[in-house]
Amino acid sequence: MVRSFWKRRIRNSGLLMVALALVWLWVRTRERNLQPVAHETGYIMIAAVFFLALYNIRKKVPFLPLGTSSTWLQWHLYVGLGSIGVFALHTGWHWPTGIFETSLFALYASTMLSGLFGLYWTRTIPGQLARVGDEVTFERIPALRRRMQWQANETVIESVAASGTTTLADFYSAQMYGFFRLPRGVKYFLRPTTSRRKSLLADMQHLQRYLSEPERKACEKLFALVRRKDELDFHGARQGLLKYWLFVHIGLTYALVLAASLHGLMATAFGGGL
Amino acid sequence: MPELEIAIPRPQRWDEPFGRMTDGDVNYLLKIEPFCRIDARTFPPTLPLRGILQGDTRIVRYEPGDLIVREGDYGHSAFLVLAGTVRVALERLSPKLLGRAERPRRTWRQAIAQLWHNSRLPEVRRRAEIKPAANGASIRHDPAEGTPRVFVQDVPQLLSTTGTARLGTGEIFGELAAMTRTPRTATVLAEGKATLLEIRWQGLRDLMRRTPAIRTHVERLYRENSLRAHLRETELLRDLPGPQLDTVVAATQFESYGNFDWYADFGAQRRREAAEQIAAEPLIAAEGDRPTGLFLIRSGFARVSQRYGHGHRTLAYIGKGHVFGLAEMAAMFDGNGDVAWQNSLRAIGYVDVLKIPADVVLQQVFPNCKLQNVKCKMQTGDKEDQSAIRNPQSVIAVGDTAAPLDSSLLDFLADHRFLNGTQTMLIDLERCTRCDDCVRACATTHDNNPRFVRQGPTHHQVMIANACMHCVDPVCMIGCPTGAIARDTDVGTVRIDDHTCIGCSTCANSCPYDAIRMVEIREPSGAIYIDEATQLPILKATKCDYCTGQLTGPACQAACPHDALVRIDMGKVEQVSAWLGR
Ligand code: HEM
Repeated sequence: MVRSFWKRRIRNSGLLMVALALVWLWVRTRERNLQPVAHETGYIMIAAVFFLALYNIRKKVPFLPLGTSSTWLQWHLYVGLGSIGVFALHTGWHWPTGIFETSLFALYASTMLSGLFGLYWTRTIPGQLARVGDEVTFERIPALRRRMQWQANETVIESVAASGTTTLADFYSAQMYGFFRLPRGVKYFLRPTTSRRKSLLADMQHLQRYLSEPERKACEKLFALVRRKDELDFHGARQGLLKYWLFVHIGLTYALVLAASLHGLMATAFGGGL
Repeated sequence: MPELEIAIPRPQRWDEPFGRMTDGDVNYLLKIEPFCRIDARTFPPTLPLRGILQGDTRIVRYEPGDLIVREGDYGHSAFLVLAGTVRVALERLSPKLLGRAERPRRTWRQAIAQLWHNSRLPEVRRRAEIKPAANGASIRHDPAEGTPRVFVQDVPQLLSTTGTARLGTGEIFGELAAMTRTPRTATVLAEGKATLLEIRWQGLRDLMRRTPAIRTHVERLYRENSLRAHLRETELLRDLPGPQLDTVVAATQFESYGNFDWYADFGAQRRREAAEQIAAEPLIAAEGDRPTGLFLIRSGFARVSQRYGHGHRTLAYIGKGHVFGLAEMAAMFDGNGDVAWQNSLRAIGYVDVLKIPADVVLQQVFPNCKLQNVKCKMQTGDKEDQSAIRNPQSVIAVGDTAAPLDSSLLDFLADHRFLNGTQTMLIDLERCTRCDDCVRACATTHDNNPRFVRQGPTHHQVMIANACMHCVDPVCMIGCPTGAIARDTDVGTVRIDDHTCIGCSTCANSCPYDAIRMVEIREPSGAIYIDEATQLPILKATKCDYCTGQLTGPACQAACPHDALVRIDMGKVEQVSAWLGR
């Protein structure tokens, strides 16, 4: 059965609101009755963190009928978001004092933030990839880049042989060689723009007036290659981001699970009566 | 100057003969029944009877117990018993006996054990696994025959426990499956030594065309055994009273269009311009012509198109069970004198149609059927009626709730023949994060060997990934010498039995979608298995098995976190459009 994403979003958000409201009411009632809440919210918190981390294990056992990954992700997202509320209740939004508690606070906050960024990227980047250039497999990008670089080199070398002049070749080695040889920098990786491509194409356009006929033909080919290389870089950067953020998110998860477990142990061992 | 043209002899029909028939063999055949009664003069000089016998038949000798056809095999030839007797099993034989072990559902323990049992190297097979006997089937390699045979070891025991019918010299079997390209309905095995003439589909078709006796025989069998049931499956005829249905059965004409072996030149076809592709598709009904009857698709696919600018725009594609021409017939029934086909119908690849002549539809069907069952309303002078004729969806929509798909997507699906798939893997590129969880899940559930590639033709945001689609018309099954590739009769999954596969590559070469990969297999130590005789690596055919036996259903779909991947039956257009419009 195909359900619309909007319906799913509204239903799940509604459920999350209700669940959070119930937890909040419960905590408030206990507080009003002067009953302790730190342990209770702590248990909920640790259960949430463990549940969120369990998604990693679920992915490793695709042969077990434990529900689809898509269902897991839905639970993951809403439990993840809901845990922010529980976290607020648990800590009262006070920045802790001790080193350990501070690290735990920071770990949770960064895991959470990485999750939110990841969610934004996983929902926006696929569409961008589908709209730009041909579909490419991430692992093949270096090979494709080398091939394009080789094609660009050949095109320029042939133009020198055919025309006997090096205007295009000089421009190529000064401005374009690096563009074809390397992937893009960190800035582009985080926020790709078409400015480099635009400025290269504009410079090449300007160069046309100094070119011989064979060089002009070669330049036409370079125009197309610049476009394709730019699209390849775009795919490399965006697909890369989609892959690497998850590494960060998982890495933080492991650290968080460890720290939260220790915190929980210490709280139950030494803080029993608090 | 490079040469612009190179003259070569034009490829001819019998360049690749079916077998090695000598003149002596053909002379012998021409002396025996039924060929001695065929008038050779009715065959044109370009298609002589002798030629058909020489190019489209072969004499095959079987040893006792050899399986000649297995239930479920995909038929493409018929058999005539020349000597000896064969037995037709009247009951289902165990799949194990046929060389197709059923894959039982794993237990939880077995499923979890995959974590540590999965091989580290690709395509590992333990020694015991590669012997066909491991499977219960026996395979005999006969150098004289060339192709290996699956055989039953204890024939007397089988015959004593299974009901069979005996066929002797002069009797024909398998013609129905061959003509309709449907799975064989029974297993046939050689009782003692037997010699049979195998006639491939093309030859049978031409013999039928020129020889009324053979045609009547095959058509009578079809009319008697299947046609009535087939017609009843159509919504329009479901409630038609018996006597009227009898008239329809008697009047129905069988027609086939296109090339039965469409997959052979599909690669070249696909590279052609879209307009050329459509122009090359045989016309079943031409837009603007006077309608001659109602078409029911029996097998294969057809494209419903309409002229648009200088080309033809695909409005829908229709397959088995669909009807074409209903609205036009309805208009004629209303007394509209000058009705013409509103759309064209063309064969995509190969299509088999049943044609109910217009007069039978108008006089027997319409006055007696429950038209409210049919979406097309036919109140005289009703505006809806007029729109039904103009609206192509209603023309084809009998028994189908087809929601319209974007015409360019339809063109794409039809051009690539993706409509063949019952479990086609669609990836929504606007949701896919390229995380490859699908590929990893597939590998984990298949001993670390992914059985598909996350690549393939794309149209806007839709990618059709390179995974077995478990086709309606599984041409990969044609010609498998051991029947290793077979369709699961219950769920429709096309599976390869690894034990019975002899690595001949017939299926991989036939698959028009390149969904079958031939792989070299190795021992757990990493040593590649090679053939003792030729020293060449032993190959096995591999492809998606739709996770048969797994506890999860298709792991690829279950592993996609973002609902970007789905396995879908392309015959259910409404599901495709619902999925895209989520
Ligand atoms: C304490 C908080 C969290 C923990 C411990 C956590 C942990 C994890 C883990 C273990 C995975 C599985 C990664 C893998 O194996 O591929 C994952 C994936 C993911 N998480 Fe979280 N997460 C947390 C919060 C969040 C939040 C708040 C969001 C967003 C609202 C989020 C969004 C995601 C997304 C989008 C994925 C990726 C799914 C995919 O593309 O495979 N996470 N997280």
